[in-house]
Amino acid sequence: MEAGRSFLRTSPLPWAPKRTLPRRFDLALPHIVRASSSSSTEKRYRGPKPTKDWVADWVSKNDDLVRSLPIYVGGVSLLAVLFNRTLSGIAPVADASSSQSRADLLTLGLAVTNILAGLVWLSIRPKTISIVDPEGIECQIVNPDLPNPVVSELLWFWQSLSDVTCCRSLVIVYNSSCIIQLGFAAESLKSDRKPASVDASKLVQGSLYHGVMKSGAQSYLANLSLYPGKSELPFLPSNTQAAILQPLGEKGIAVIGGDTIRGFTTSDQAWISLIGEKLDATLAKYLDNLPFAMLDRV
Amino acid sequence: MSNSIVSLSPLSQLKIPTGFGTRSSTRRFSVISSRLDDNSRSGQPNPQLNLSVLRFTLGIPGLDESYLPRWIGYGFGSLLVLNHFVGSNSVTDITSAQLRTEALGLSLAAFSIVLPYLGKFLKGATPMDQTTIPEGSEQIFMLSENVSNTEKEDLAWATYILLRNTNTMAVLISIQGELCVRGYWNTPTDVSKTDLLDWFGRQIEQFGISDVKDTLYFPQISDSGLWDILPKGTRSVLVQPVPQVPDSSDKTMETNQGFILVASTISYAYNVKDRAWIGALAKKFAECRFVYKLNGSLSVNERRS
Repeated sequence: MEAGRSFLRTSPLPWAPKRTLPRRFDLALPHIVRASSSSSTEKRYRGPKPTKDWVADWVSKNDDLVRSLPIYVGGVSLLAVLFNRTLSGIAPVADASSSQSRADLLTLGLAVTNILAGLVWLSIRPKTISIVDPEGIECQIVNPDLPNPVVSELLWFWQSLSDVTCCRSLVIVYNSSCIIQLGFAAESLKSDRKPASVDASKLVQGSLYHGVMKSGAQSYLANLSLYPGKSELPFLPSNTQAAILQPLGEKGIAVIGGDTIRGFTTSDQAWISLIGEKLDATLAKYLDNLPFAMLDRV
Repeated sequence: MSNSIVSLSPLSQLKIPTGFGTRSSTRRFSVISSRLDDNSRSGQPNPQLNLSVLRFTLGIPGLDESYLPRWIGYGFGSLLVLNHFVGSNSVTDITSAQLRTEALGLSLAAFSIVLPYLGKFLKGATPMDQTTIPEGSEQIFMLSENVSNTEKEDLAWATYILLRNTNTMAVLISIQGELCVRGYWNTPTDVSKTDLLDWFGRQIEQFGISDVKDTLYFPQISDSGLWDILPKGTRSVLVQPVPQVPDSSDKTMETNQGFILVASTISYAYNVKDRAWIGALAKKFAECRFVYKLNGSLSVNERRS
C-alpha cells in the first residue's frame, strides 16, 4: 500500500483536460489528486510511543512533600503502635515473649526505618542557588579572518552552552590573540557603553593561563569571587559567579563565565572538555597556516 | 589520499581508509572495530551535593544503602507473617490488637519497599545502578562511506562523546540517510559485515524512526525489548531528531534531516541535563548558513526549524 501511494505521489495524472477517460476513473481521480497533495508529507513514525510516567512526574513536582513523607508515615505509625498497645490493655513492656509484642517490635522497627530514610532524604536536598545577572554589555565580536567552518562551530558551541548550562560569557583566545568574544562582557574603561576588549597577550602571560596549560586539564573556578586570579579576567563581568578555563590543545584557551555559583555540573564539565578537544582539532586544522590580524581595540 | 589517522583522544584512534575520491553507486562500507575504553562511569559525586549531615551507611563497600529500606521491608514483612502463623498456637489466641498491629506493619513494609523507587525521582538522585555490558552483543563501529572526511570526523567524534559522557552503550546517528553505528548492537549473525549498514537502514525504515517529530524517551523498557536491533538488556532509549533547517522560500518542509538514537542498559539513564546536551549535539548536525557583515561582526543567519 505504501508503495502504491508513493507511486501516485510522484506521477501527477493530468485528469482535467482528458474527457476521454472512463467515467469511474474520472470519479476516482479527483480523490487521488487531492489525497496526493495533502498526504505528501505523511511519513510518520510507526513504532511504540513512550507512556507518560505519572509517578516520576508527580514526585519531581512535589519534591519537598515526598522528602518528608517517610518521616510522617513512620512517626504516625510509631504512635499508632503505642496507642494500640495501651488501648488493648497490654503492659508497655519491650519483651518478645508474646506474639503481640513481637509483632509490635517488628512494626516499630519498620517505622524507625522510614523515619531514618526520610531524614536522609531531607539532608541530601540540593541547595537552590539563585542566578546573578551579569553586569555588562552584550557583545558578539568575531575575528573577521576566521574561515566559515570555524565560525559556525564556535557559534554552535556558544549556542549549546547558553542553552544548556548557566554560561553567559564566552571568550576564546588562540595563538595569543582573541578570536571570539560572545555574551556579556565588562564595560570598557576607556569608552562607555562599549564592551571591554580582551588583552590576549596579558592573559597569555598570566598565572591562570600558565597553570591551565601546564596541567593540560580543565580548571573549574566554582566561586570566582574567592579566587585572586580573578583579576586576570577583567573582560568578564565583575559579578561573574563561576568560570571554566578549558585549554584548547597547547595554543588556545576558552574562558566560560557562568551566572551561578557552582553552576556547572560534572556532566557540563565533561561535555565542555570533550568539545574543547574537538574545537582544538578544528582550530589547528584551519588556523595554523593562516596568519590573522589582531582584533581591533574597541 | 593516504590513510588519515584522526586521533580523538589518546584512548581511541580511528583510521579512515582510502579510496573515497570517487563516489560509487553501490554502497560500500568499512567496518572499523575499535577498542573503546571502559564505558562504565566512575561514580564521581556531584560537587553540589556534598551537604549530607546524616548518612545511613553500614560501612560495607559495594553495598548500596539506598536500597536498605527495601530489604528491611521484605525482611520484617516476612517475619511478621511468620510470627502470625507460627507464634501463637491456635487461631483463637490471636487478638484483634495483634491483627491491627500486623496490618499496620505489613502496610509499613509495603511502603518501605516502594521507598527506593520514589527516591530515584527526587532532585539530586544519582543512578545507583552501574552500566552493564549487554551479553551476546558485540561491539561495532561502522561509518557509511558516502560522507566527506570532515563529516566522518564529526560523526566519529559525536558518537565517541555520547558513549563517553552519558550512560550510553549503543549509539546510532543517521544524517540524510547516512549512518554511523557504534557500540554494542544486536546484529544478526547471518548478515555479512558489508551488508550490516543496509540491514540497519531497513530496520530503521520498518519503524519509520527517521520521521520522529519530537524527542522520544523510553526510560523503562521491559525485558521483551523495543526494537530488534537493540541488544538484550536495553532499559532506556532516547531518539533525538536532528531538525531540518527549512529554506526561507519553502516553509512547508518539516521533515527531519536525521536522528540520534542512544540506548543504555540502566533505566532512567538520561536525565534532563543529558537530554539537553544531546539536543545541542543534534543541532550541530543541523544545517547552518551564515553571512558576513561588512563591519566584521558576524550575523548568523541560522534558520531553525
